[in-house]
Amino acid sequence: MSEVTGSAIEIRDLRVDYGDFIAVNDVSLSIPWGVVYGLVGPNGAGKTSTFKALATLMEPTYGEVIVGGYDVLESTSAARRIMGYMPDMAPAPSDLKAWEFLDFHADTHALGGRAARRERVEECLGIVNLLEKRAAWCKALSRGQTQRLVLAKTLLHRPQVLILDEPASGLDPLSRRELRLTLQKLAAGGATVLVSSHILSELAEMCSLLCVMNQGRILSSGTEDEVRGELGRSDRLLCVTMVDGQDGLLTWLAAYEGVHDVERDEAEVRFGFKGDNDGQADLLAAMMSAGLRVKTFEARGSSFEQILVEVAEGNREA
Amino acid sequence: MMDEQVKAASKPLPETPLPGKPPRLQGSGAPTWKIWANPIFRRYCRSRLRLQGLSLWMLISLLISGFLFFIIRQGMLRWDGMDLVDAERTPLIPLLIFQGVILFLLGTGQVAGGMTAEADEGVLDYQRLAPMSPLAKVLGYLFGLPIREYVLVLVTMPFSLWSLWRGQVPLGIALQLYGIFFTAGVLYHLTGLLAGTVVKNKRWAFLVSMGVIFLLYTVIPQLAKFGLAYFKYLTIMPVFEECYPHLIPRDAGAAAQALQQLLPSAKFFNLNFPQAVFTLLTQGVLILTMTVMLWRRWRRAESHLLGKVWATGFFGWLQLVLLGNALPLIEPGHLFPSRGFDSFLGRFRMGGDWQPEEWEPVVMVGAYGLVTLMMLWVMMLMISPNAETRLRGWRRIRKLGRRRFSPVSDPATAFPWLVLMVGMGAVGWHLFAKELVGSRWFPGQELPTMAIAAFLLVMATGGLGFHALLEGRGPRAAGMAAIFIGVVPIMVGSILGTMGFSVAATWLMGISPVMAPVYASGVMLPMTDAGADIMRSLPRAFWFWQFVGTILTLRLIHWLWQSLRTK
Repeated sequence: MSEVTGSAIEIRDLRVDYGDFIAVNDVSLSIPWGVVYGLVGPNGAGKTSTFKALATLMEPTYGEVIVGGYDVLESTSAARRIMGYMPDMAPAPSDLKAWEFLDFHADTHALGGRAARRERVEECLGIVNLLEKRAAWCKALSRGQTQRLVLAKTLLHRPQVLILDEPASGLDPLSRRELRLTLQKLAAGGATVLVSSHILSELAEMCSLLCVMNQGRILSSGTEDEVRGELGRSDRLLCVTMVDGQDGLLTWLAAYEGVHDVERDEAEVRFGFKGDNDGQADLLAAMMSAGLRVKTFEARGSSFEQILVEVAEGNREA
Repeated sequence: MMDEQVKAASKPLPETPLPGKPPRLQGSGAPTWKIWANPIFRRYCRSRLRLQGLSLWMLISLLISGFLFFIIRQGMLRWDGMDLVDAERTPLIPLLIFQGVILFLLGTGQVAGGMTAEADEGVLDYQRLAPMSPLAKVLGYLFGLPIREYVLVLVTMPFSLWSLWRGQVPLGIALQLYGIFFTAGVLYHLTGLLAGTVVKNKRWAFLVSMGVIFLLYTVIPQLAKFGLAYFKYLTIMPVFEECYPHLIPRDAGAAAQALQQLLPSAKFFNLNFPQAVFTLLTQGVLILTMTVMLWRRWRRAESHLLGKVWATGFFGWLQLVLLGNALPLIEPGHLFPSRGFDSFLGRFRMGGDWQPEEWEPVVMVGAYGLVTLMMLWVMMLMISPNAETRLRGWRRIRKLGRRRFSPVSDPATAFPWLVLMVGMGAVGWHLFAKELVGSRWFPGQELPTMAIAAFLLVMATGGLGFHALLEGRGPRAAGMAAIFIGVVPIMVGSILGTMGFSVAATWLMGISPVMAPVYASGVMLPMTDAGADIMRSLPRAFWFWQFVGTILTLRLIHWLWQSLRTK
C-alpha cells in the first residue's frame, strides 16, 4: 500500500477536524531528504496536529501522509520504524533514571543485547550532552534536560525522518546552539528533520526550508527569503551610525532605489529598505564605495518575529 | 566535546529503505510469549522491583502472612486443642484473603493507576510508536504493572504451601484453587488495564476502573440469584465453595461436603463440569475478549473496542452460556430465587415441600430479557460508527479505489449485526421463558405462541430503534433519548406509583424500553397476585407503547438508511 515517492515527507490535502473545529485545513507539503525543515506558526496554527498525523498518532479526517515512501495509514508500522517523534513539552517517566529510560526504548526498538544497548545509550546521551546526568532520575531533570533526554530517545534507533515538535522550548542558548548543530549534522548525513516552533528566528537559524502556518493553513513555504517575499513583508528596517556627520548619508540614501521613510536622530539614521539579503549586502557595498564612513550597519524590525506577530494580531482581529 | 557530539550524531544512517518495501526491523523483538524478554515487562520489573521500595513491602507482607499463619495455627493447637492436621489447615483461608487483597485489590489498582499515570505523564505515545506487536504491548503492561504484587503474593506462599502440605489438602484442590486465583487476578488486572486505556478523562480513569470491577465481579454475579447462573462464574467463588470443605478442619469439612451435595454442580445443558473448569472457561473467554479489545486499541487508537464479528459472536456465546447454565437448573428447582434464599438460611427443604412463588418466573423472565437488552446496548455502543468514523472510512475507501465498506469494518453500519443480535436475544429469551413456564413447577401452564413476537418486538424497538438513533442522529440525540425516554418515565412513574396512581404509573413507565422486558414478562406469563388495575392496564400499556415504539423505530431506521445512502 505504500507509495513510491522521492520525498522524505509528502503531505497531500491533509485535514484534521476536532468536532466542528478545523485544526488543519487542506495542507499539502513536500519535504526532500537531507534537510532541516521548519514549520512555524502562532499557537493554534495546526502544527502539533500536523505532526501527530505525521507521527501516526492521529488519524486525519482525510488526506494522505507519506513518510519515507510509506503511507502512514496503510503501512503504519513500516513508517514508525523509520521515524523518530518528539512531542511538544516532551515528558519522561518519573520512575526511571535517565539511562534506564533510554535503555527501555532501545529495548523496544530491539537495538541488540545489553552491551549494544548501553553503547548506543551512551552515544545518544553524548549527542545531547547529558552524559553527566545518566544516573539522575528523570523527574529530577530540568525542563531543558528532559527535552534533551527525549531528543536522545528519539535518536536511539537512528531514524531517517525526525519529527520534533518545539524541540528548542526550554533550552538555554548554549543548548539551542548544540541542538542546531546536531540537527544540521543529522540532515547532512541524509536524514530529514522536521521541526516546529512558534519562534521563527529560532527556526530560521537552523532550517534550510521553512513553512509558515496559520489557522490550519499554509501561508507560505520555501527558503527564508521566499517566505519573506511571499508574505509581502520584504521590507527591512536598517539602522546606520556614521563615524562623522549624517548629512552625506541622507543625500546619498535619497537617490538609492528601494530606500524609503528615512528618519534620523543624534545617534543613528533609520530607513526602510525593500530588498532581500543580497540587496542589503549590495546597499552596504555601495555605501562603502561612495566613501561614506559607516561605523555600524544593522537590520532591525520586519524580522520573522514581526511577521508572526502581525499574523497573530491578524487572527485576533479576525 | 562538541566535535564528539557532532561525530556521533552524523554517524552513517541505516540504509534508506526502498520505497514500497517495508524496511527490516533494526533487530527483531523476541516472540510475544517470552514475557521475560518483553521490554515493557522488563521496564516495570526494573522500576517496581527496586530493592529499596520492594524490601519494605516484602517485609510487611512477610510479617502479616507470618502473623496470620502462626497466630491461627498456634491458637488452634493450644486453645482449641485441635488435631495437628486440622490446625495446619486453618490459616489457609485467612492467607488466601490476604493474598486476594494484594493481587486483586492492590494489583488491579496498580494496573489501572499505572496506565492512567502513563497517559497522564504523556509517555503512552512513546509506547504507541514502539515497534512491538500490539499483543506484546498488552502483555507487557498486564504482567509488568502488577509485578510487585505478584512478588508479594509469592512472599506469602511458603506459609500457604506449608499449610496445604501439612494440612493434607489434596493437590488437585490446591491447583484448582490457586489456578483460578491466578486467572481471576489476570481478569481483574485486564479490566483495570482496559479502563485505564479506554477512559479518556485521566482523573476519572482510576475511579471508573474500580467501578467497572465492582460492577462486573460483585454486582453482576448477584444476577445468578435471579436465574442467570452463568454470571457467578465471573468470580472465584464457585471454585472456592467447591474447595472449601478441604480448606477447613476435616470434621467441619465433611459436613460442608455433605451439604454441598445438595447444591448444583456446574452444568452446561446436559454436560457436567467441575466448577473450576467452567470458571476457567468463563474467565478464559472474558480474558480473550478483553485482550482483543486492548489489542485493537493498541493497533489503532481510534478503533472500536470490538469488531462486528467478535461482538456478535460474543453476544451469541453469552446467550448460549446463559441458557446452558440456567436450563438444567430449572427442573431441580435450584434456579429459583426463593430456593437459593432458603439454602442461604440453611433451610434445605426437599423437593416435596417446596414450591416456587408465583412472582418468581415473571421476575426471572423479566430479568433475563432486561439483561439481554442491556448486553445488546453494550455491544451496540461498541460497534456503532459515529459520523466522523464513517466520514474517515469513506475517504479511505475512495483513496483505495473501492466502492463500499467491508461489512465487518468499523465505519460500516452496525445495523445488520444488531438485527442478528436482536434475533439471537429474542430466541434465547423465549427459550428460557418457555422452559421455565413449561417446567414441572407450573403444571398445566405454557407460554403463549405470540410470546416470541412480543420478545422480538421488545428487542427490536429497544435495540434497533436506539441504534438507528445513535448511528443516524449521533450520540447527543441518543443520550437525550436515553435520559428522557429511558430514565425519566421510570422516575416519574415510580413517584406516581408511591402516590397511589398505579394505573398512570404503569402507563408512564411503559414508555421506557428498560421496562419493556419486565412488562413483556408480566403480560406473557400467568400472574394473578398483582392488583386488578395493574392486571388490566399492563397489557394495554405494553402493546400501546410497543406499537408507538415500532412506528418510531421504523421511522428512525428510514432516516438511518437515508443518511447512509446520501454519504
